[in-house]
Amino acid sequence: MRRLRVVAAGAAVAIALSGCGSSTKTGASGGSGTSARKIAFTLTKAGCDPAHLELPAGATTFDVKNDGADAVSEMELQQGGRIVGEVENLTPGLSGSFTVTLEPGTYQTACPNGTSAAKGDLVVTGVAGSGTTVASASAALAATAVTNYRAYVESEVAQLVITTTSFVDAVKAGDVASAKALFPKARIHYESVEPIAETFSSLDENIDARANDVPASTFRGFHRIEQQLWVAGNTAGMAHDADELLSDVKRLQAFLPTVKLEPAQIANGAVELLNEVASSKITGEEDRYSHTDLWDFEGNLEGAKAAFTAVRPLLGKSPTLATTIDRQFTSTRDALDQYQTPGGGFVLYTALTRTQTRGLAAQVEALADSLAQVPPLVVAG
Amino acid sequence: MKERPSRREVLGGAGLLAVAGAAAAVVGGCSSDASTKTAAVGAEPDIVAFHGANQAGILTPPQQRLVFASFDLLTSDRPALETLLRSWTAAAALLTAGKPIGPVEPANAAAAPTDTGEALELSASRLTVTVGLGRSVFVDAHGRDRLGLAHRLPAPLVDLPPFGGGENLDPARSGGDIALQCCADDAAVAFHAFHNLTRIAHDVAAVRWTQLGFGRASSTGVQSTPRNLQGFKDGTNNLDTTDAALMRDNVWVGAADTPKWMEGGTYMVTRRIRMRLEHWDRSAISDQEATIGRAKISGAPLGSRDEHDTPALAALGPDGKPVIPAGAHIRLAAPSENNGLRILRRGYSFSDGIDPVSGELDAGLFFVAFQRDPRRQFIPLQQRLALHDALNEYIEHEGSAVFAVLPGAAENASLGGPLFA
Repeated sequence: MRRLRVVAAGAAVAIALSGCGSSTKTGASGGSGTSARKIAFTLTKAGCDPAHLELPAGATTFDVKNDGADAVSEMELQQGGRIVGEVENLTPGLSGSFTVTLEPGTYQTACPNGTSAAKGDLVVTGVAGSGTTVASASAALAATAVTNYRAYVESEVAQLVITTTSFVDAVKAGDVASAKALFPKARIHYESVEPIAETFSSLDENIDARANDVPASTFRGFHRIEQQLWVAGNTAGMAHDADELLSDVKRLQAFLPTVKLEPAQIANGAVELLNEVASSKITGEEDRYSHTDLWDFEGNLEGAKAAFTAVRPLLGKSPTLATTIDRQFTSTRDALDQYQTPGGGFVLYTALTRTQTRGLAAQVEALADSLAQVPPLVVAG
Repeated sequence: MKERPSRREVLGGAGLLAVAGAAAAVVGGCSSDASTKTAAVGAEPDIVAFHGANQAGILTPPQQRLVFASFDLLTSDRPALETLLRSWTAAAALLTAGKPIGPVEPANAAAAPTDTGEALELSASRLTVTVGLGRSVFVDAHGRDRLGLAHRLPAPLVDLPPFGGGENLDPARSGGDIALQCCADDAAVAFHAFHNLTRIAHDVAAVRWTQLGFGRASSTGVQSTPRNLQGFKDGTNNLDTTDAALMRDNVWVGAADTPKWMEGGTYMVTRRIRMRLEHWDRSAISDQEATIGRAKISGAPLGSRDEHDTPALAALGPDGKPVIPAGAHIRLAAPSENNGLRILRRGYSFSDGIDPVSGELDAGLFFVAFQRDPRRQFIPLQQRLALHDALNEYIEHEGSAVFAVLPGAAENASLGGPLFA
């Protein structure tokens, strides 16, 4: 969990409808040739305005404006329970937009916290297959970097769904010992792709907020269950949280195709992952009840390495920097591996001395400083 | 070299203060020179008048250095607190005039010095001493009367709610019964004031936490805008302290406000805000500027040209997104986005070495803000920032306190007088 969401400020996300994965685009890019129909949509205190819509099929841009609704800051378009497009963090006066390709059928709109129109509907008429296409004209190397990193993210999140399913099953079965053992193994696949997950700020909060990140009434996700397992020593009352966690993780998976990636952003993600290590794993703040912070450390480190590996071919003009970073990844990994336990996994954070945390931190800071030199070297165009 | 009002002139016995004495008796000065100096208070360019309807150190253009201390009361004896405030008043009047509080070389060789002496040759350095009381002076954590002052508890003196947003408060660096803010342009002068006032307090109150600050991190109208440790101008949009109407509306407890004894006082919120400087330093200039909502060098709001241009909060860029992002600090803190509410900021940068666990710099902003009612001002503002401020990724609130800053004391009167009247 990172402290605040920079990314999703008024950000627009459009989700591919099932079966047409190549026809998505984010609302922000705007200039892809085919113009989408624009629909003006307003967030009011009541919720969604209009609450009922009827539109022909095809590419449609929802221009959403918050008209002074303090409590309503998000609009979602759903189909059969899946979110196919949304804007969030629209504080009063702000606008955002997203574009989706509407197919014939019925959709639902949601404007959470609206007083009387928190939900609405949208009926789409006409014929299927009139969508927009996205033209991407990046250099071949950049495209390859994006493709490779996207494949890594998808495989990590697929693992996350599998490991979270096992964890959730153990929690719901009341099997405290198994749940505790599965907790760090599930999280590691979240930690490895955290900058991507953070693109969806509300999901990141749901999945990974620590107790002090959010109001107590909305504390949920991995760390809420962690607190119950380690502090209370049981799984009482956690069935609902467990279900929600799994559904949030699956939503994350569903959102992945909509994430727009470019090399500088991937490189920045590597820096953010190392910042995460320094601010919350080295300090033991992340897993404050279980003290399994070094597992998360490994997830962050491997995720940063995957991000760097993807953009490394773009560093042709700076072979020295690339070599330095390679060496620093190796030495940081070696420093972490000192604390591996024979059965797999790591010693608890509480077993580390201050000298040891400082030693780890020094490696992480040096690596992060080097990685921070990468983004300006891989900017597209 | 400017003339330094020498503390030596009064060493002969003027301003003798009994350390922790029952009465803070200032023995009549036997040096006419000293009394001349006293009369000339305010005329010296680096002396800030101590007495007045409001305490100094609030509207005073921020000095370069801060020593802040929060004290725990060691007694539930109300007269002891009253006496302490009277002793502090007398001592602060001397200190702010650049004088020692008593002999540095006592005539009696067996006596310990009354004034500790480290500021002897230093000028007054615009020293101000500002005193406030915490809610815990009036009622304890269970709402029980503590010193027989529960009926005097000001309603605005509330405990702050948890804010979230990564707030991680350390109780040992939060709260406290008495606030003592010493500001001066010379760090040694500010420390000397804190040092000697703490000695006076010794069996009535003990230091709970302290915070040193440097490089004033706020501008209050008559100074240029300083930069914080993130390298950005901080306080461009702060209240202009020369605007009396603004001060009346936003800072001072007025005649129509309750309780009556607070008239001329104000409420102070302090927050120790650690900055994750290493992370900030690594972030791209575009990210830094989007986080704050200003250009780094000029301080101009994004999309504008000059520092003092009104932020164009409604402006959209070619990509259809706000030029000043939704989570930008200046957007969320802007009065126009917060029903017009404003606070007077008077914070300082701090650097307390390194975090012993990570080796990262333990540095940031010691936020100090004054206002008429925290319930209407700081609290809703911080609730909004905690939820949405992009800056939260780079900062952590580690300490927090609220104090009722006492009304100022007229000459021959004592801080806290109206409270005990």
